[in-house]
Amino acid sequence: MKSILILEDEPFIALDLQLAFEDDGARAVVAVNCDEAFELLRTTEIDGAVLDVNLGRSETCEPVAVELKKRGVPFLLHTGDLDRTGEALRELNAPIMAKPSGAEEVVAKLFGLHGSCEPA
Amino acid sequence: MQRGDGGGERATFDQSQQAGRTFSPDSDNFAGATGLLFEQAMAQTRMAVCLTDPHQQDQPIVFCNKAFEKLTGYRQDEIIGRNCRFLQGPKTSSEQIAKLRHAVDNEDVLVVELLNYRKDGSTFWNALHLGPIYDEDGELRYFFGSQWDVSDIHLARAEEKHAKVMAREVSHRLKNVFAVIGGIVNITGRAMNARELASKINERIKALGRAYEPTLDEASFGTIEVGQAIRSVLAPYDPEGDRIVFDGDSARTEPNAVSALGLTLHEFATNASKYGALSNDGGTITVSWCHDEDRHGRQSLVIEWVERGGPPIHRKPEQTGTGFDIAERLLSYSRGTLDRAWEENGLHATISLPLTS
Repeated sequence: MKSILILEDEPFIALDLQLAFEDDGARAVVAVNCDEAFELLRTTEIDGAVLDVNLGRSETCEPVAVELKKRGVPFLLHTGDLDRTGEALRELNAPIMAKPSGAEEVVAKLFGLHGSCEPA
Repeated sequence: MQRGDGGGERATFDQSQQAGRTFSPDSDNFAGATGLLFEQAMAQTRMAVCLTDPHQQDQPIVFCNKAFEKLTGYRQDEIIGRNCRFLQGPKTSSEQIAKLRHAVDNEDVLVVELLNYRKDGSTFWNALHLGPIYDEDGELRYFFGSQWDVSDIHLARAEEKHAKVMAREVSHRLKNVFAVIGGIVNITGRAMNARELASKINERIKALGRAYEPTLDEASFGTIEVGQAIRSVLAPYDPEGDRIVFDGDSARTEPNAVSALGLTLHEFATNASKYGALSNDGGTITVSWCHDEDRHGRQSLVIEWVERGGPPIHRKPEQTGTGFDIAERLLSYSRGTLDRAWEENGLHATISLPLTS
């Protein structure tokens, strides 16, 4: 079974995504900030990720995105403000999913990325 | 008329203006009648004016008018003899001061805006115009400076910038709110075994969100550009960008028209994806909009939706779905109309919304 990391500080969106991944036969773990995400990355094998860009209190998902890029784990940036992703994130050239978009579309887009991330 | 050096005999020139004056009309160019006119004009104008003497140590101010006193809060005797820098303070841009110095050194004409300080410590934005004044032999005699308080303009600019930042923030938050609503609808639909219903609701909510997006991104809370809203609503139905042709001008409408328009176009597009020009490979849709008279002769925003190349239509569908019914009712609240002609080569629909004047 594939394990997906969801980094999202808004509970309803996180739950919606988590259920959609579970519907697709994947396991999804939720982190609400970068520290939690790194903790999950340390303890869990992660095959793909959906990263909310703005995590509140001016925290962004950037460190996690950089780490995933280094590991070659496919991920999506999920954001309501494409212009505000910041230079560093833009340079990563990661695929972006504009908010609001349906949870199923997010799942389909992530599983559609080339890489090791097909549904289980 | 005899010119003088500021004796009390001239009622036209405020005597206090003369106090501490080192300006010497006997040896300058403001001679005779011209000198008097100059002094009267300087006393009258609301533009703060000063002259500095570039030949004296530290280029002091040798003349200033009433408006200069009023603007800066200093009395003339506190001004004359000082270099203009006494108006500067901690927040005055050193970059602007460097420009100023450069212009003085090169005898250039310059207009700079800089933050200056009044006698009471309050600040104002000063649009300073300065330039050299030469005598008839072409020798540099004075530097002329006119000051204009442009604080209001600076404030307006800052407010405009602030409004743009706010609009962006609101736009971002609104998108988040739409995303959260979508999550709630999905989760509830799942829990109540109504996922199909939930996804239908969500599609409509999303269409609405897209329709409202440009209203905020434009950072204008007045009217909105119809074309932007139309494009945003329909974008997801034409991912390759080759099925829907947009043909409209920069017509604008009230923001409250957006929800009805957005939902109506969403219903058209959904219908086209299922049965119409987007349900096969070759069909296209032309969406055009402009301000025109509607069928009741009212000035209206008219949007035409013309499908071509889809599966042939043999008769009007018996049931066109609740979506169109909702759309029609929403439009009717704004006295709008929705006409649909099921032509054989595709649906031809006309939405019109009267302009509120």
